[in-house]
Amino acid sequence: MMSFLQVQDLAKRYGGTTVFERVNFTMERGEFVCIIGHSGCGKTTILNILAGLDRATEGAVVMDNREVAGPSLERGVVFQGHALMPWLSAMNNIAFAVRSRWPDWNRIQVQTHCQKFIDLVGLTGAEHKKPAMLSGGMKQRVGIARAFAIQPKMLLLDEPFGALDALTRGTIQDELLRICEATNQTVFMITHDVDEAILLADRILLMSNGPGACLAEAVINPLAKPRDRHSIHHDAQYYGVRNHIVDFLVNRSKRYQSGELRSARSPSAKIVNLR
Amino acid sequence: MSAMKCICGAHHSQEEHDLNDRRLLEAAVMRALFPNVARRRKFLASVGASTAGAAVSTFFPFGALEAMAQEKGKPEKPDLKIGFIPITCATPLIMADPLGFYREQGLKVTLNKTAGWALIRDKMLNKEHDASHFLSPMPLAISMGLGSAQQPMRVMTVQNINGQAITLHAKHKDKRDPKQWKGFKFAVPFDYSMHNFLLRYYVAEAGLDPDTDIQIRVTPPPEMVANLRAGNIDGFLGPDPFNQRAVYDEVGFIHMLSKELWNGHPCCAFGTSEAFIKENPNTFAALYRSVLTAARMAREAKNRPLIAKVISPPNYLNQPETVVEQVLTGTFADGLGNVQKVPDRADFDPFPWQSMAVWILTQMKRWGYVKGDVNYKQIAEQVFLVTDAKKYMAQLEMKAPASAYAKVKVMGKEFDPSQPEKYLASFAVRKDV
Amino acid sequence: MNGRAQSLVAGLLSLLFLGVFLGIWHLATVPKKQAEAPVDEYSKLLGKGAKKSEGFPTLSQIGEAAFTQLKDPLYDRGANDKGIGIQLGWSLMRVGAGYALAILFAVPLGFLIGMSPVLYKALNPFIQLLKPISPLAWMPLALYTIKDSSISGIFVIFICSVWPMLINTAFGVASVRRDWLNVARTLEATPWRKAFEVILPAAAPTILTGMRISIGIAWLVIVAAEMLVGGTGIGYFVWNEWNNLNLTNVIFAILVIGVVGMVLDFLIGRLQAAVTYVE
Repeated sequence: MMSFLQVQDLAKRYGGTTVFERVNFTMERGEFVCIIGHSGCGKTTILNILAGLDRATEGAVVMDNREVAGPSLERGVVFQGHALMPWLSAMNNIAFAVRSRWPDWNRIQVQTHCQKFIDLVGLTGAEHKKPAMLSGGMKQRVGIARAFAIQPKMLLLDEPFGALDALTRGTIQDELLRICEATNQTVFMITHDVDEAILLADRILLMSNGPGACLAEAVINPLAKPRDRHSIHHDAQYYGVRNHIVDFLVNRSKRYQSGELRSARSPSAKIVNLR
Repeated sequence: MSAMKCICGAHHSQEEHDLNDRRLLEAAVMRALFPNVARRRKFLASVGASTAGAAVSTFFPFGALEAMAQEKGKPEKPDLKIGFIPITCATPLIMADPLGFYREQGLKVTLNKTAGWALIRDKMLNKEHDASHFLSPMPLAISMGLGSAQQPMRVMTVQNINGQAITLHAKHKDKRDPKQWKGFKFAVPFDYSMHNFLLRYYVAEAGLDPDTDIQIRVTPPPEMVANLRAGNIDGFLGPDPFNQRAVYDEVGFIHMLSKELWNGHPCCAFGTSEAFIKENPNTFAALYRSVLTAARMAREAKNRPLIAKVISPPNYLNQPETVVEQVLTGTFADGLGNVQKVPDRADFDPFPWQSMAVWILTQMKRWGYVKGDVNYKQIAEQVFLVTDAKKYMAQLEMKAPASAYAKVKVMGKEFDPSQPEKYLASFAVRKDV
Repeated sequence: MNGRAQSLVAGLLSLLFLGVFLGIWHLATVPKKQAEAPVDEYSKLLGKGAKKSEGFPTLSQIGEAAFTQLKDPLYDRGANDKGIGIQLGWSLMRVGAGYALAILFAVPLGFLIGMSPVLYKALNPFIQLLKPISPLAWMPLALYTIKDSSISGIFVIFICSVWPMLINTAFGVASVRRDWLNVARTLEATPWRKAFEVILPAAAPTILTGMRISIGIAWLVIVAAEMLVGGTGIGYFVWNEWNNLNLTNVIFAILVIGVVGMVLDFLIGRLQAAVTYVE
């Protein structure tokens, strides 16, 4: 059987410059995948290609047996800068998405549905506030609620918690984990935060430095589910995987770029299982 | 002019011309008198259509025939818009409103105060106005397509004679000789105005070239006093009441009345378009009678104070009554400390002398506003409606002269309307052609 | 100083400035000793001794003029003498018509230009060329082609209002944040919804800024246009009073023009505030 998502030989070039090439990976339904890499390696471009907002120079993306040719309601996106429309209240930002998904719904249906997701992300009481009146964390929750509300087949998150303070970030991470588990959501997420990746992801993709980046390693998270933010670092395997990733970011990512570590024309990432 | 094919030049064919209002009758008689087409045309061309008509009418009772045909017919278009510039020249056409002369003739007239002469022209061309106050040279210029699109305009009556003056800034009280005026800036109301032509004539007689020795600016009359006060101009040859207003506001003095240049010169005119006359012959007749009635009343000196009263309010001239009264009665302060008494400072003889039109054309040619050969007589007779004026003056029992031409003296020099080219050639100062 | 105290002080200062201004005006125009009754015919003809406006009007004359005009703003004494209310009505009607036409033209076109960088580049030279032309310079052309002075007035308002709206709409639409457009794209919003629910509200504050500039210019221009074309309107009123050299009424009209301009600006300002959002 074909995987839910197949990314085949993706490359992006601008003129003579290759941002990345030979990006191959698959994802299964319900899987949570994080991608980590230094700035400029093309993570956001990959996410945009998955979303259908950008086009690859080479290669293809197939989701649920259909090639991705443009943006679709089947893929919900949470943008880096939350991308809420500032003239709409929290509720109406979500309603905008809901009405796109179910154009035939009446006002009450839309409202009930929105309220459900507002409650889900813990924003009850703030639904009629404009984004400017919300804190950074609350804004990002609205963005997540908006993406979840259309019940997409896959969720794409572009570094959603980057701008949040550690405390808020933790809370929202917990919520995201809870919702994903409850809905068996397939998630592809960009992050810079190794701990976040270990907490959330089933698999962590490591990208080498750009330009000329490639998908260097695919690390299978050895920590068993459910993972808990408060106890995760007591797990015996935690530091192993953490060190592996940090070491990649500090040392190996450069060497992949220079070609030193690229395994003989291997089209796919080296699978790392530390279990 | 070459594009026109009929005798009067206003129609596309002789047939169309012949259909025109009363000329239909004339043409029928003319055809009876001259069955040979070529000979008839030759006759008409040599004497001019209206002269021919007038000649024929001496032995044929056109008036009676027409009276039977259409006398006091119901106006086709009773609601009229008439444009005017707020100056005393427009006295007859203005007073006809408050005094009810239009109403008497079954017309409902709205008088539109207009901001300048260019706009008067444009609103006539655009048919926003049905009839209008004009500067006498304007209908000639528009009919010839000078300074605008060509459209045949007709002068029904001369609105006023005399009634202009040369006003100088108070600081020039010691410069009464035009020879001292080199470098002066003067305002006139419009290029195609008697004001412009008289000022040019006057300074040229003093040996100045109006195009190089002085500066002449076109300024709407209401703005002349303000410009004089601001020192933008040294003087103006303008219409009243603005000469008097300059005295009243103590910014200038009256150097000379235009009457002293040419006693009886035309100033403004009342007219409409050829098309309007054709479409609305009864309205045209009613309008004619209204304005002539007003002119008749305005000519009487004893009526002038009353007229001053009815035309001074904001709806019309918007001027202090005493200023208007001084202009109309001719008893006025001249700005030099004297009270002058010149009863004919302004007068309202409505007769549209074709000789006046010829004089205007000579000056237009003299100063280069028209180039090449000018068929003086043809244009004058086409634009200045002498025959109609006579007819309606007769209806109102007003005395009209027998001829359409008269010799006049301008600054002592005789003008013979039958010799326009000779007259033109006699001027030392003129624009080279 | 807190906000309230600041407003209070500013208000007091405003009153002070007004007082100083009016004081200077009063001192500068303090009525000269009443001229003696006319002794001879000449002075009588110059209007000495009679009620005559000499020099710059005094404050009380302005007040009197304002009172007379405002007491009966809708009088109608013939085609060329109507109350200030009727004249204002005409001007506002012309501004309203020209301005509304400008909105109907500039906003959709600005939208197109803003959406298409190619169109923007192609039309920009024309806009830049036409924008700085004084709207009154169009008047002779308008009179010649439209052949109606009132519609020409409306056209002139149209042509002066159109540029700020067009430029601002295009700019506002072109600079809508890509994120919002991407949100609409991923949600497969119809072009209609994208235009009216994303781009329009996003660009609305910029568009309204253009509209606010436009209404100011339109109100400036209508006065000049009506002075030129005449007939009716507040500009005609000024011209008619100037023609009579009646500075008192001219100053009164200037005040009225100022107040109406302020009200128009205030109204669009309120509208602008209503569509402005904080990011």
